[in-house]
Amino acid sequence: MTSIGTGYDLANSIFSPDGRNFQVEYAVKAVENGGTAIGIRCKDGVVLAVEKIITSKLLKPGANKRIATVDRHLGVAYSGMVPDGRHFVDRARDEARAWRDTFKTPISTADLASRMGGYMQAYTLYQSVRPFGITAIVGGFDSREEAPVDGEVGSGPSCGAGGKVSSKTHGGPFLYMIEPSGLYWGYYGAATGKGRQAAKAELEKLDLSGAEGGITLEQAVKEAARIIYVAHDDSKDKEFELEMTWISGADGPTKGLHQEVPKALREEAERLAKKALESDDEDEGTEEKKGEEKMEE
Amino acid sequence: MAAMFSQNPLMNGPNYSFNDSPRTSAPEGAREHRFDPYTDNGGSTLAIAGADFTIMAGDTRLTSGYSINSRHHPKLFKIGGTTADQKDATIVLSVVGFAADGEALKERLDAICKMYRYRHGKPMSVKACAQRLSTILYQKRFFPYYAYAILGGLDEEGKGAVYSYDPVGSYEREQCRAGGAAASLIMPFLDNQVNFKNQYIPNSGEGHALQERERRPLSRNEVEVLVKDAFDGAVERHIEVGDGLQMMVITKDGIEEILMPLKRD
Amino acid sequence: MDHRPQAWGRPRDDIYGAYDASYLQTSGPKTATQSPVVTGTSVIAIKFKDGIVMAADNLASYGSLARFTDVKRLRTFLDTSVVGFGGDVSDMQFLDRHLKELAIDEAYEHNDDQQQQDDDDSHHKSTPGTALNAANLHKYLQKLMYRRRNDFDPLWNQILVGGLDAARKPFLASVDLRGTAFTSPSLATGFGAALAQPIMRRYAATDEDAARLTREQAVDVVKECMKVLFYRDARSLDRYSIAVVTKDGVELSEDEQLERQSWAFAERIRGYGTQTV
Repeated sequence: MTSIGTGYDLANSIFSPDGRNFQVEYAVKAVENGGTAIGIRCKDGVVLAVEKIITSKLLKPGANKRIATVDRHLGVAYSGMVPDGRHFVDRARDEARAWRDTFKTPISTADLASRMGGYMQAYTLYQSVRPFGITAIVGGFDSREEAPVDGEVGSGPSCGAGGKVSSKTHGGPFLYMIEPSGLYWGYYGAATGKGRQAAKAELEKLDLSGAEGGITLEQAVKEAARIIYVAHDDSKDKEFELEMTWISGADGPTKGLHQEVPKALREEAERLAKKALESDDEDEGTEEKKGEEKMEE
Repeated sequence: MAAMFSQNPLMNGPNYSFNDSPRTSAPEGAREHRFDPYTDNGGSTLAIAGADFTIMAGDTRLTSGYSINSRHHPKLFKIGGTTADQKDATIVLSVVGFAADGEALKERLDAICKMYRYRHGKPMSVKACAQRLSTILYQKRFFPYYAYAILGGLDEEGKGAVYSYDPVGSYEREQCRAGGAAASLIMPFLDNQVNFKNQYIPNSGEGHALQERERRPLSRNEVEVLVKDAFDGAVERHIEVGDGLQMMVITKDGIEEILMPLKRD
Repeated sequence: MDHRPQAWGRPRDDIYGAYDASYLQTSGPKTATQSPVVTGTSVIAIKFKDGIVMAADNLASYGSLARFTDVKRLRTFLDTSVVGFGGDVSDMQFLDRHLKELAIDEAYEHNDDQQQQDDDDSHHKSTPGTALNAANLHKYLQKLMYRRRNDFDPLWNQILVGGLDAARKPFLASVDLRGTAFTSPSLATGFGAALAQPIMRRYAATDEDAARLTREQAVDVVKECMKVLFYRDARSLDRYSIAVVTKDGVELSEDEQLERQSWAFAERIRGYGTQTV
């Protein structure tokens, strides 16, 4: 941050001489302090998980959710400034609804990511606004079936050329991450917030690209829980709640909808996560002992 | 050459319709319609005031034309209670005519009575409620609620009170009233049996000298029998009345609801 | 050629007659739906022990023309309720889109619902959830229809709503284009009110009777009624949709075919058509 104090960080829409927008970089800093949020795209769905730091014992457990539903098949998790995230979600819902109004069909995950990327980018352009203090992870499952148009009548020709290629598949699980600059990429696994480094390291170990067959949705739920626990390790003193949602295809457990992971499965995943963490600690412990022994020698 | 640019069709060949302006004009916001927003859903209601009680009654059939839509569609509603089940209500409204308007009317009156309770900390008196109901009806004078309403309760002295209405808000406190499809069948029966009309003391005189039978307040049991008889008679002679009889007895102890079967033919 | 650009591409009065622009009015009376155009015929439904069965054929008629033969007139709502539409098909589409929007709004609150359901399963089944149930949906539709009739812009439908109520008991109710709403152990719209309702009432005259019906019995009754309707309602089809709603959700089958039809009775009909004897 060599240019701090030179005046180039006072407003959006002004570049520094070395081509940086400092307001955007400060927004990224805001995200880096937020609770960890991750998303995993696997063979048959998407899992979103956040580490919700409990800031007060007076807050009702399980209330004030961080992961929001945008459309029936779309969910958003975010890290950073919560009010900014809430506004982001409101806008995403408006976009999804407007899409349905015009095209009478659900918005695809890619299109929503594009719309929202554009929206966030606009907040880096003007004097009068500041960038979003969040990084959002957008997960969705675009219908693999021929999606009916809302309120449609009839199902088209039952024979002859209907413009349908029988061998071609459509839709599937998708995951995008949008940063304060408006930059967005599609990911196999995405992580943001305080524990993102540890989380990314763990995500990279998973076979998400499907090179070795990929992982299933249920495995992904368990991995997501474990990764949040691993990422939380550095700030152990603070209590947190694990919040997880998932989206499967029409043939999966959520029937194509974005839903909270059922309580039983979440608790099971948390139990396994804690167990995995303990065994890790034990390993570290023995390693340390070995080290000490070596020292003595 | 001049003909080439002329707007005169005689000089320039065929003409075209340029005029897209409307041929008729009506006042802004005026609407043309063929849709009839009303129907008659049949049924009948009845209310009788006693010395320290009021009995309201109605059949539970809902018709449209010759079809029976429902055999259990209540026409009596408790008004102004504080809970969803209206267990602390003190007033009963009966509506008959067009069912959707009746229900809308009931919900409006109920909401108003509830607001009154929250603001004043006491339930609305029947007298006040009766006046308010008249106002509600009259406010929709030019697109009326097509419903014949009867309001029942106990007045400030604890006496039975029955108020009857026409669809545009004219109202009157009465001893008894029948409403709806079989009103014309039941009302004369009530005149005779409640107000003892055309009942004379035998051998009390000739012609105008005949003495009317003296009126006396009826007991609750007598009235309940009267109501049942009135409806049994109406069911026999009117196709839109039947299936079930819903009765509400309002006393100082609250409202008691009674359901009885009627003929379902 | 004609040198008035306004005239280019316009029909000539001497060939087509002067254009009647009266329907293009921008001022003047606002015209709402005056009568239905493309229509669906009967919807029928009956309650049983632990839910409801509803059916409607897949036909959308344009007057007496069988215009669309694969129109699905039963729509599900949040996997808890089913809505059956009789009457105008475009108004049905409007309502379907509207209800989908409502369902998405409900999904925003999915977290609370999930929580509620978890609580319900472990403790008391009767706790009403926060999700919209069939009774709520019916009330909503009634208010919507009544409002539209007050605006003289009715949605030209008769609608059946089936599912479970707040106490998780079977719920079945109807609402029409005037906002008139009612419930009954069995319901039918249109021709069904005359042809199917008497048959269904034989099996479920009261709620107590309906509570004794099994799912299989209820489905059989409804299928039988669909057959009677196909025999006698000229604006009906032998392909139909049938839905069963229980506490486990909605099972909707949209491509059923009427089975075991018998047209023997048609031989005995005299007095119509061309026969002379």
